[in-house]
Amino acid sequence: MEFDFAVITDHARFLASGVGVSLLLAVLSGATSLATGFIVALLRLYGPPWLKPAVVLYIDSMRAIPVLVVLVWTFFALPIVTGLTMPPFFAALLGLTIHLAAYAAEIVRAGIESVRPGQTRAALALGMSRSQILLRIVLPQAIVRMLPAFGSLLSITIKDTAIASVIAVPELMRQSETVAGQSFQPIEVYTFAMLVYFAMLFPVTRGVDLFYRRVAHLGRS
Amino acid sequence: MIAENNSGGRAKGTGATIIRYRGVVKRYGAFTALDGVFLNVHAGEVVCLIGPSGSGKSTLLRCTNGLESIEGGDIEFEGTMLPRDERALRAVRQRMGMVFQSFELFPHLTAQQNVSEGPRTVLQMNQADANQRAAALLDKVGLADKAPNYPSALSGGQQQRVAIARALAMNPDVMLFDEPTSALDPETIGEVLSVMKKLADEGMTMVVVTHEMSFARRVGDWVAVFDAGRIVEQGPPRQIFDAPTTERTRDFLSHLGWSG
Ligand SMILES: Nc1ncnc2c1ncn2[C@@H]1O[C@H](COP(=O)(O)OP(=O)(O)OP(=O)(O)O)[C@@H](O)[C@H]1O
Ligand SMILES: [Mg+2]
Repeated sequence: MEFDFAVITDHARFLASGVGVSLLLAVLSGATSLATGFIVALLRLYGPPWLKPAVVLYIDSMRAIPVLVVLVWTFFALPIVTGLTMPPFFAALLGLTIHLAAYAAEIVRAGIESVRPGQTRAALALGMSRSQILLRIVLPQAIVRMLPAFGSLLSITIKDTAIASVIAVPELMRQSETVAGQSFQPIEVYTFAMLVYFAMLFPVTRGVDLFYRRVAHLGRS
Repeated sequence: MIAENNSGGRAKGTGATIIRYRGVVKRYGAFTALDGVFLNVHAGEVVCLIGPSGSGKSTLLRCTNGLESIEGGDIEFEGTMLPRDERALRAVRQRMGMVFQSFELFPHLTAQQNVSEGPRTVLQMNQADANQRAAALLDKVGLADKAPNYPSALSGGQQQRVAIARALAMNPDVMLFDEPTSALDPETIGEVLSVMKKLADEGMTMVVVTHEMSFARRVGDWVAVFDAGRIVEQGPPRQIFDAPTTERTRDFLSHLGWSG
């Protein structure tokens, strides 16, 4: 068998645009799931009691439903339910966020709950209020403790963006499929895609690991 | 006859009563952790709480600054009943410093920041003043050079001294210590006890849960012996250690190998 990687250079701009869309989708959905996850976790922990069953149901269902199903539902079903049509990119962003925020919420909750009660007691003893304690004492330590899990979540996010290809978001996987189909060189094209995903992910996981090792002591009480 | 009549024979017992426990009852579900505790703490006095594990000493301290609520009796602080409302409780807690067995320094803050955190967030002191106060207090506990260190870079004894400075930074009227040396290596116990002794000599009112009988005897003005949620005997250290009047106290002290 002969490999001809010229197909990659021939479609360099097309594939590069896919990489750009993948990165953009990953960064945006990483940020929105993190933000949403924080809110969901805080609601679960400190929100009004009547809201908790809904929050728990949301988290449990998202962990039980495949991300592909959520994405496809967001793109094809949600517009019918709400009457709002969305460009594929936004549907992907929304679907990924709905799905990943549930995981982020569980990471945040576990992080907060892992800060031992003595820390809260010490802060209460100083006369601090509950919100001061959460913001100044518990969350800073909890966030440090969450870093490794956030690192994994971020890599899962990058990987999950590939699923957006099914709703025609022009990200790396979709562009690769197009090039592979036109050129009849799936081996070269998909090998390239694999390498690019690896190149995007490896620095992220390594970077988070290294950073965590440097700051871990800040969360160790 | 333990109730109330505990003012006689107190070395520094001339000050006003700062904390008054009257029949304090604390339950955890069906379990009664405090079963009617009567005790007075006077200004400038060091009151030591001793007794076997699980007898309710820590629980009493946590009830004192409202970290736990009580089911019966009452606790008076500086002439006023301890409030139940969170906001009012916060004001009371500012007047009481607390030191824990496990230090509980904030790991994400330097020694200096640990000490200035209370003045900054609770007293809304400006950064410069809070830093100055923190520096002075770290100096007082002999740790001026450790100000920029994070707790993870301090020994146990050093961490506990920072924790004492952190509590002092609120300018409290009373200091509550819950076994401040129990988690320390024998070599570092002394440095913490000597800081506490210095505080006592300066006239700080202190309630100290301790297993350090020699500290209770040397520094304590009043000793209360706990057993199963009650104070079974209280009096000046001479009485408790040399002439205990109850069987429980004698049992507890002999169990510790205290020979008088
Ligand atoms: N949050 C809680 N829930 C249930 N029981 C509790 C709780 N806190 C304390 N207790 C119980 O109350 C009793 C008194 O506990 P406390 O911690 O006050 O004892 P202690 O005298 O300080 O003992 P030690 O010397 O071991 O510290 C113990 O039997 C303990 O198990
Ligand atoms: Mg205790």
